Order: sequence, then C-alpha cells, then structure tokens
Amino acid sequence: MPSTEVFLKIGLNHYLFLSAILFSFGMIAVLMRKNVIVMLMGIELMLNAVNLSFIAFAKELGNLNGQIMVFFVMTIAAAEAGVGLALAVSVYKKYKELNIRSFEQLRG
Amino acid sequence: MLMEAIGFYAIALFLIFFAFKTISSANPIHCACYLVLTMIGLAGVFYQLEAQFIAGVQMIVYAGAVMVLFVMVLMLFDIKTELRAFSRGLISGFLKIFSAAILAGFALGAATNSIGIVDEGPPKVMSTNVTRDLSILLYTKYLYAFEALGVMLLVVAVGVVCVSRIKGGTHAKH
Amino acid sequence: MGNDVFEITVNFIKMVVIFLMMVQLVPLLVWVERRACAYMQNRFGPNRVGPLGLTQLLADAVKFITKEEFAPGNGNKFMFYAAPVIALIPATLALNAIPLSIPINVASFEWLGHTWGPYIFKFQGYDFNIGIVFVLAVSSLAAYSLLLAGYGSANKFAMYGALRASAQTISYELAMGLSLVGILLLFNTFSFSEIVTAQSGPLSFYFFGKVITVASVPNWGIIYQPVGAVLLMAAMFAETNRLPFDLPEAEGELVAGYHTEYGGIKMNMFYIGEYGHMLVASALMVIFYFGGCTIYPWLTPDTVNAWFANYGGTTASILTAFVLFAVMMAKILFFLWFFVWVRWTLPRFRYDQLMDLGWKTMLPWALGNTIVTAVVIFIMRTKW
Repeated sequence: MPSTEVFLKIGLNHYLFLSAILFSFGMIAVLMRKNVIVMLMGIELMLNAVNLSFIAFAKELGNLNGQIMVFFVMTIAAAEAGVGLALAVSVYKKYKELNIRSFEQLRG
Repeated sequence: MLMEAIGFYAIALFLIFFAFKTISSANPIHCACYLVLTMIGLAGVFYQLEAQFIAGVQMIVYAGAVMVLFVMVLMLFDIKTELRAFSRGLISGFLKIFSAAILAGFALGAATNSIGIVDEGPPKVMSTNVTRDLSILLYTKYLYAFEALGVMLLVVAVGVVCVSRIKGGTHAKH
Repeated sequence: MGNDVFEITVNFIKMVVIFLMMVQLVPLLVWVERRACAYMQNRFGPNRVGPLGLTQLLADAVKFITKEEFAPGNGNKFMFYAAPVIALIPATLALNAIPLSIPINVASFEWLGHTWGPYIFKFQGYDFNIGIVFVLAVSSLAAYSLLLAGYGSANKFAMYGALRASAQTISYELAMGLSLVGILLLFNTFSFSEIVTAQSGPLSFYFFGKVITVASVPNWGIIYQPVGAVLLMAAMFAETNRLPFDLPEAEGELVAGYHTEYGGIKMNMFYIGEYGHMLVASALMVIFYFGGCTIYPWLTPDTVNAWFANYGGTTASILTAFVLFAVMMAKILFFLWFFVWVRWTLPRFRYDQLMDLGWKTMLPWALGNTIVTAVVIFIMRTKW
C-alpha cells in the first residue's frame, strides 16, 4: 500500500495521468463513433489533453516555452475545427448523411 | 496542501466524468454540451497550474468560439439521435479500446520512469508576471512562428469561404 | 478565491451579495426604462401602482412567479430549463470580478478576547490579476443560453432567432476585445484595481520622451482613447442584445426570437441576465474610460480619506470606501440611463446591416485603433 503522500502531494505525475486519460478518451471517440462531427470533437479533446500536459511540464520545469506551445496548438486546433466543420457542412449538404461508414468506399 | 489536493481531485473527477459523457452520448448535441463543460474544467486546471492567462484564452477561444461553432452547426442541421451511434463489432471495438489504453500506459510509464535520469538542478519557480514574460518570448524568440500562424489563419479563412462556394456547397453560385 | 477557509467564506458571501444586488437592480431599471420611454413617446408610463409607479415591478414579479409552469412537449426539457439559469451565470461571474470601490483596510482590533488581525476587504468577489481576460471569457459563455433556449423550444422561429443571436454575439466579441487593447497598452496591466489607481491622478502623458502633467484634469482613459470608448460602447450594445442590435428579440420578425416559448419566471430570468450584462457593460465603461470610483481632483482616495481624518483608522477607511462606492454607482447609473436612452431613440438594424457593421466596420476600426495606439506609444515613449 503506497503512502498517502503520493495522493496528497499533487505533482507532475497526477497531471500527466489526467492528460493521458483525456487523450485516450479522445482517441476512442475518433475510433469508435460514426458521426463526423463527434469525431471532430474527439480530435478537439485530444488536443486539449496535449495542452494540459504542456502546461504541466511548463510549471514543473519553470520554463515558459510550454505555454507558448499551448498558444500555437490552440490556434491551430481552432483553425482546423473551422475547416473540418466547413467540410462536414458541405458533405452534409450534398449527401444528406453524416455517417462516416457510408463514405468508406471511394466511389463516383 | 490538503485544499490543493481536494481541488485537484474535484476538478479531475469533473473532467473525467464529462469527457466520458462526451464520447458516450448518443445525441451529438449532448456531446457538444459536455465538451463545453470539459473545456471549462480544463480552464480551471490551467488556472491551478499558474497559467492564468492561458486559462482565460482557453475559455475565450475554445469554450466561447470553437464550441459555439460546433453547437451552431449541429443545431442548424437538427441531427437526431442515431440508432447506432457506435461502430459495430465486439472484437474490433475491444481492440480499439485496448490500443488506446496501451498508448496511454506507454506514455505514462515513459514519463514516470524517466524522472531522475537527467540531473535537473535546483527547482525552478515561475515568474510572478507570467503574461509579460510570455509576451516577451512570443515576440522575440518565436516571432517567425507567430507571423507564420497569422498567415496560416488567413489561408484557413480564405479556404473555408472557398469550400462553401464550390459546386454543391451552401453558398454556391448558380 | 482565497487562501484559507475564512477568506473563501467571505468571498462566497460577497458573491451572493453582488448577485442579489444585480437582481434587485432590475426592477429599478425596468421602471426607469418604462417611465423614460413613455416620456420620450409623450405618454404616461406606469404611475398607478404605488408612488410614481415604483411598485409596478413588484406586482409584475408576483405575476410572473405565479404563472403556470409549462414546457414544449417535444423539445429538449433539460436544455429548456437550463437556458435561463445559464443566462444568469456569466453576468454574475463577471460582476464579481469588477471592483466597485477601493479596498477597506481593517486594522487589527480586540473583540471577545481575540486579536482579529489586519485584513483587507476588497469590494470584489474575487481579485484576479487577469481581470479583464476573465470578464471577456465569461461574457463569451452567454452565447450558450441563447442557443440552448432556441434548441430546447422545438420551434423553428425560436431556433432561427437563437442562431442569429449567437452569430451576432460571437461577431461582436472580437470588436469588444480589440477595442480594449488600446487601454491595456496604455496602462500596462490587466487588473482592474490597478487601472483605477492609474486613473486617479492628474493627466500625465509622455510627449516625445518628456512627461507632461496637466494638473487639474484627471487621467481618464476617454482622453487617450475616444475611438476605443465609442467602439466598446457599440460592441457592448450588441453583446447585450439591446437596441439598435436587438433583432433576435424583434417582435415583428420572429415572434419573440429565442424566448418565444418561455413564460413566467423563466422569461424573467432572461431579462435579469440581459440587465445584468448591461450592468457589467456600464461598469467596464466606467472603469476603463471614466476613472472608476475616483474623480480627480475632488474625490480621490486620499482627499476623501482626509475628510474623515478625525475618526479612527478603520472607520475612516470604511466611510471612504462607501463614498467612492456612491461615486461609482452614480457613474454606472449614468451609463445605464444611456443604454435606456439609446434604446428608445434609434431604430433597429437589419440583420445583414448588423453583421456588416460588426465585421466590416468595427473590426477594422478596432484594429486601426490598436495599431495607431501602439505606434504613438512607441514614438512618444522613446527618449529623443
């Protein structure tokens, strides 16, 4: 039975654990859900988990480069969400279908 | 120390609960609402990690703009609950979850076991005025990346407008 | 929020008090609005219930509370009930971060045998050093109450109203944030109390490297940034969905927009949220551009403290804080009156005019304001 110090003193490992759990949730959403927009949301969740681990390292090492990286990741994620949604909207307008399994075969 | 631990565990439970509801809800609009709550919780975690400015920016950009966009698109299309929200197949589903868990385990094991390999020196502290130091770094050392980001955003904006004007798009010219 | 349990409790009580203050201001504001619009339209407003019609709103509140509670059948019930509550949360959180007066310094005193130590009682619910970023962050959450209200109503008109309202809200958030950047560049800080402190002195600015001080004019932000002030005011009108930007609630077009299906106390909560946002907008205008709770040279913390110099330290501090609180509320009430005045004077924008104004006029002006401010600061502050 590990000492209670491990649970009471919040260190880097706790934040990394949280980040790993969120990242795997995002990955499961991308792999297992069929709706295109929910897959995009899974991608956003993965990017947020990565942001969390960057900031945890930035605090641990006292190095601000981690926070700068978070700026860039956030901006790129927002831009990519915009593009992904625009494409999803176009696809829905044409095929009236947002289920990704029906776009698996290259056709037409 | 105890208050900090209680705060961390409360927010961590909040985050894990809502992230799980995000990926397991059948109705996509519920997924979007839970993701907004997840992002607000993440802003709280960032604040606890002494990154206050990034917490504010996370709320403004993600919870205030990106997720509003998601929710608006979902509501515009009035997407109903799907009958089968998850992909079929027990074996393939199990393999997917297993691979995600293995990836998380590898990453965590690597991070945990690599503490103490490199000699860190004395523990470093964050500066008191984080925003000022952040901006000095952003505008001197990372200036090129900052400008490249601006160009990329311009290209993305133009691209999104063009995508909506192709034949069959929402604003196509007839 | 606070370092120990005592501070957290005090902050929590302050948050509840500020929330109640926001809710209690709504009946007064609505009375002012109804009497003012009646006066502008050359008729009487409510003047029968109570003296001068002041308890008309009390009667209205009783009517709202006792109405029948209903929800549309095939809408999303949870979102339908959650949307009015979500409308109240951003306004409350933002109002808690804004200082309404200077902090009270309570010196240590003896009571019941203990020494209750020196304590600084701030007039805010919590004090962040990223004050304005926090206020912008929670104001951007106001879009969700509109969307959830429209979606939970299972009504196409409500949905269109909600989508229009949220598109308008996120468009004007940009202009609002950018118009504040000029003031942040000038005063070099995000925190509200430091901005108020910087404005409580005489007007002193750099002019080609030298500092010029004009003795009898206060150092208010409006003198440095008039364009920014106008832009912030206009963007705040759009954020709170007030005329001339209130197409989402327009009666002629969309029945009642996103709150078509609401009645009773839930509808009233939307109005409380809207007036709460107006209160936040007025408080932001006063703090950034009009000196906050001080008017140099007559009513600064030092001069008001000198009035009460013959009382004790703590009592003088408390009285100073309340006098300056009255000054701040007077300025906020002036801006609230300005909101009401504009509402009943200007006609409403059409939706495409509104979106063009936000993206094609206000955003370039705000960007231009930022660039000009930055260039002027750079030229004036280098040593020539």
